[in-house]
Amino acid sequence: MTQLTHTDLTHTGPGGPPNHSLVQEDWEALTFKVHRSAYRSPAVFQKETSRIWGHTWLYLGHETEIPNPGDFKSRTLGGRPLIFCRDSSGQVQVFFNACTHRGTILCRHSEGNTKFFQCFYHAWAFSNSGELAALPGDDAYTDVPGFKERHRLRSVPRVDSHEGFVFISFDPDVPDLMTHLGEAAHYMSLTAKIGPQGMQTVPGVQLYSVKGNWKLAVENAMDGYHFAPTHNTFVGYLRETGFAVTDDDQYAYDLGDGHGLLILTGHNGRIGMVWEPRFGEAEKERTAAKRQEMEQRLGKELAAEIADASRILFVFPNLLLFDLEALTIRQLEPVEAGRTDVRAWQFVETGEPDDVRALRIKTMVSFVGPGGLATPDDIEAYEAVQRGIEATADSADPAYDWSDMSRGMANEKQGNQGRSIDEGAMRSFWRQWSRRVEDGTPGA
Amino acid sequence: MGRRTVTRAEAEDFLYREAQLLDEWRLDEWLALFEEGGRMEVTTTDWNGWDSSSAGAFMCDDYGLLKARVKRLKSRKAHAENPHSRTHRMISNVIILEQGDETVWVAANFIIHRYRDNQAFTYVGRYEHVLLVDDDGLRFRLRRSIPTMETMAPGARLSFIL
Repeated sequence: MTQLTHTDLTHTGPGGPPNHSLVQEDWEALTFKVHRSAYRSPAVFQKETSRIWGHTWLYLGHETEIPNPGDFKSRTLGGRPLIFCRDSSGQVQVFFNACTHRGTILCRHSEGNTKFFQCFYHAWAFSNSGELAALPGDDAYTDVPGFKERHRLRSVPRVDSHEGFVFISFDPDVPDLMTHLGEAAHYMSLTAKIGPQGMQTVPGVQLYSVKGNWKLAVENAMDGYHFAPTHNTFVGYLRETGFAVTDDDQYAYDLGDGHGLLILTGHNGRIGMVWEPRFGEAEKERTAAKRQEMEQRLGKELAAEIADASRILFVFPNLLLFDLEALTIRQLEPVEAGRTDVRAWQFVETGEPDDVRALRIKTMVSFVGPGGLATPDDIEAYEAVQRGIEATADSADPAYDWSDMSRGMANEKQGNQGRSIDEGAMRSFWRQWSRRVEDGTPGA
Repeated sequence: MGRRTVTRAEAEDFLYREAQLLDEWRLDEWLALFEEGGRMEVTTTDWNGWDSSSAGAFMCDDYGLLKARVKRLKSRKAHAENPHSRTHRMISNVIILEQGDETVWVAANFIIHRYRDNQAFTYVGRYEHVLLVDDDGLRFRLRRSIPTMETMAPGARLSFIL
């Protein structure tokens, strides 16, 4: 983890936003401002699509979504329709979901299992490893073997995975996935080690869309300051079940390259790891037994690091991993400046008892998702910001059209670790955004 | 104990009455339509008939959560519903699926129009409820909403009761 110090962050220094930037930071005046056109402007959105989504690793899905040979999901990422599948030999494949003949959407189902993807238009059929297997009326082509080879299904240039989390890149010339993930990889590994038999996604995927810019969803997840006021009713519910939420002694970390992390100790219970009254008495006993199991398997220190604190991990630019009461993987798919599609999977321990699985699902769903007791208020926040920032567009006084993210800068300047209820994690996100979108030198 | 037969008309009256209470935000009276220990589920759009305890959902409330949800929605700190959405529910195609000793299984279609912030949202789906049959009426044992949409459209959150 990198402790931020003010010497790293002078706005004139290397890697900092240039002066014409939509992101302005000043460590003398202790100000950090983001221009609201960054959330509003179709031109900025187009730049993001090209400079971020076109040139970095993107989270696509988890290997456990396609456990068996032939399993597939079709999914749009960075605006491009894709097929995420496991071929008949068990290899994960990611194809552009377009027939190589005329570009027809090849797979029109959202999920399923198949050996072949056949285009309905002219009946070209591709194996689930991409070969053009059937070409009706191939006598009209010369060099049929060569023609078939040239018309294989197009694979995305880069596919790699870490702990079952599958990432892709549309740019072949990106650094290795592990280089991209950097320090974030460790925190993904912590979560992946919770279950003795591993972790998996389950069906029941929350698909929804918000009328807000994708960066508002990132900010919201990295922002502990909003929790008490925005989630007042959820905090009240927890209090009634016998648990008092605290924001004390909780910190935000810059993991580099735009990745961010909140570590929340005592913020909430963790099923199997930190007991809370609403989990019930049976779960209390199981929590003690599970800690023993984790200590035997992983050692005392690692077990404690995994179990004792909740974590919200943001992997730039589109993955949020919520390791809280239970676990949720959330993927952001920007559609336009003011609209973001969201997909969320419950992430569970493989092989856990049915009653624990039921408790996990009930508890997580009670918080996250568009029907939870908390997330709807976050969505209200993104959408209210998106509507509100129209007020100051092109205002007579240009100073009105900036949002403030300076909270905690004085503390940070003294060399102290930023608190979760400050805005340091948002600042590190915006710095990386500026490097990517404004300098045009990815990874600089 | 042998129970009386529930007619489609009685099931319709129950569902229409419920829709009225929800559209008028009379949430305490709505909660009283559940038996003690009743549950509410809203399935995700990829739902394929699985048990709600084994897979993700949009809502998966036991009775404790149901009470918490009502309490929340009555608070002015439930920001997503302050001010309240205006909702307008149409219930149709009511079918008695099966009548047991104690309960009756009822299916119905719904269209819910929601209005807020000068925007309109439409939710289309069906209900599959398990109702406890009492001498003096019906109550929810399991209230299940199954959205027909492929995804929740932009802005179409589930901050209200679907």
